[in-house]
Order: sequence, then structure tokens, then C-alpha cells
Amino acid sequence: MQQAYKYAVFYFLSFSLLLLGSSLLLFENKIGFSVSSVLEYYLGNEDKFLVQKSWSTILKIILPHIFAFGLFFMVVLHFLLFTKHKTSKLFIRLIYAIFFMGFLEMFSPYFIIMGLEFFAYVKLISFISLELLLLYVFWLLLSSIFER
Amino acid sequence: MRFTLIKDLKQDITMKPLLNGLLIFMLMYLIADIFVIDTTLGLLVEDIKMTLFGNIDEYIDPIDKSVFLEYIHGEIFFMMMILLTLSTVYARLCSIKNYSIIIINILMLSALLALISLAISYFYAPSFLSVYVLSYFIWHITAFIMALHSLWNLNFATSI
Repeated sequence: MQQAYKYAVFYFLSFSLLLLGSSLLLFENKIGFSVSSVLEYYLGNEDKFLVQKSWSTILKIILPHIFAFGLFFMVVLHFLLFTKHKTSKLFIRLIYAIFFMGFLEMFSPYFIIMGLEFFAYVKLISFISLELLLLYVFWLLLSSIFER
Repeated sequence: MRFTLIKDLKQDITMKPLLNGLLIFMLMYLIADIFVIDTTLGLLVEDIKMTLFGNIDEYIDPIDKSVFLEYIHGEIFFMMMILLTLSTVYARLCSIKNYSIIIINILMLSALLALISLAISYFYAPSFLSVYVLSYFIWHITAFIMALHSLWNLNFATSI
């Protein structure tokens, strides 16, 4: 990879870290990292005057994320094509795992409002797994950039 | 990113207009962004302070934490995509060794500093707003120059 492109990718990863950090803060601020807080956010709480999220409200939240997730995952993962991992099975597994976790993270709220409270766990696990998988990809890319 | 692989972009009848279009739209985005920021967050330290922290005398409420986080989350996404695209186009079209790397570093570091200083200003120290304003203008001006330089090289340089 040309030196200037390495810099561009390195800074892109720095922005990506900020993006993950801000998503963690947003999740903590709006929803919370416990099953009860996830259920409360989506199903509402009469004592706290919180209303249940509707289908359209959830759709308004996930709509920009459908596009942004797809673009972001594709851009980050395609950088692996320029590394030694381009033909490895790990690369293929990471592609499937990241897109699948992204799908679960976005659409699990629909199952929660349908009454399947178990999906509060899915929402939390998929969010945390997605962050960890992306951090792992960043690590693979960073180690490739600094590799001689 | 096919343009990074083509040997002579001037001779490529499809990539040249594509890159021209991309660079012109980037210039428009950079100009439009200044107007949008001016009417939403503010461009001067005092205006931004009023937007973020409100003003009791003028009955202006401070910005909600979740609204601020949503704003900065969206800004990070847009900035990372536009800056990655612009820097790769620039690296391909203006590949003067060291010089292009220095320019890319200035662009990226000032953009990162703008985001970080805005978050620090909101959560910890409002005095960092002057750092935000300065770094915001540095990355905008640098990006504008990079786009113009790339456009010039794409259309007028002898070989790229």
C-alpha cells in the first residue's frame, strides 16, 4: 500500500474509534446497558411516563443506520483486501459475523415490542459483539499498516 | 476506489468526469457545511457557547446531552467518509512525495481535533471551543485547497 494511502486508512480508523466511542455513549445515555433498561426504553414505563416505541419510531431510528452500517462495514472490511488476511477464512468469517451482528442489533427492537422480551439480551449481546468485532478488525488493519 | 489503480487518469474517458463530479460535489459540501453549521451550532465561540449551554437572560435552553451525542455521532460518520474519499483522491492526483502526506496529516489531525475539542468543550471545559473553531476552519480550508488542487491536476496537469 502506498504511504499516503496508509495515512488515509490510519486516520479513517481513528475516526472509526471515535464513532464507536460515541455510539457507546449514545447507547448508555439513551438505552442503558442492562436488560431492564433496554426493555424500559422500548416497552415504556408508566411510572416514568415513558411510552412504548412504535414500529415507525424504531424505523426512523434504524433507517439511517441501515445505510450507514452497510457502507461503514464494507469500507472497513474491504481494507483487509490489502493485507495478508485477504485470502484467509478469518476474513470471510468476519464479513458474515459483522453483517449478521449489525442486522441483529438493528432489528431486535421489533421483536422486543412484539412481546419477545428475550430479544433485550440479543440487542445487548449483538451491540457489544459488533463493537468488539469491529475493534478486532481495526487491530488487524493497524497491525498491517505498521508491519514492515 | 478503482481510480487508484488506473495508470493515466487523463486518458480514461469515464474516470475523469466521475472524479470531476465527485470533487465539485465535495467543494459544494464543504461550502454548504459552513452555512449549515452557522445556522445550527454557530461558527463563533460565543454563538456555539449559547447553543451548547444556553443563556438564562435570553431564555435559551442548553442543548440536551442525547441531542449533542446524536449530532457528534452523525458528524463523525460524515467527516470520516468525506475525508477518506478526499484524501485518497488527493493522494492519487497530487502524489508529490512528503508534501501530500503533510497535507493529509494536517487535514486529518485538524478534523480529529475539531471533533475531540467540541466533545471536551461540552463535557469538561468550554474554553476548548476556541480550539474547536480554529481546527474546524483549518480542516475546511485544507479540504477546500485539496479538492481544488486535485481538480487542477485532473484537468490541467500534463500527466497524472
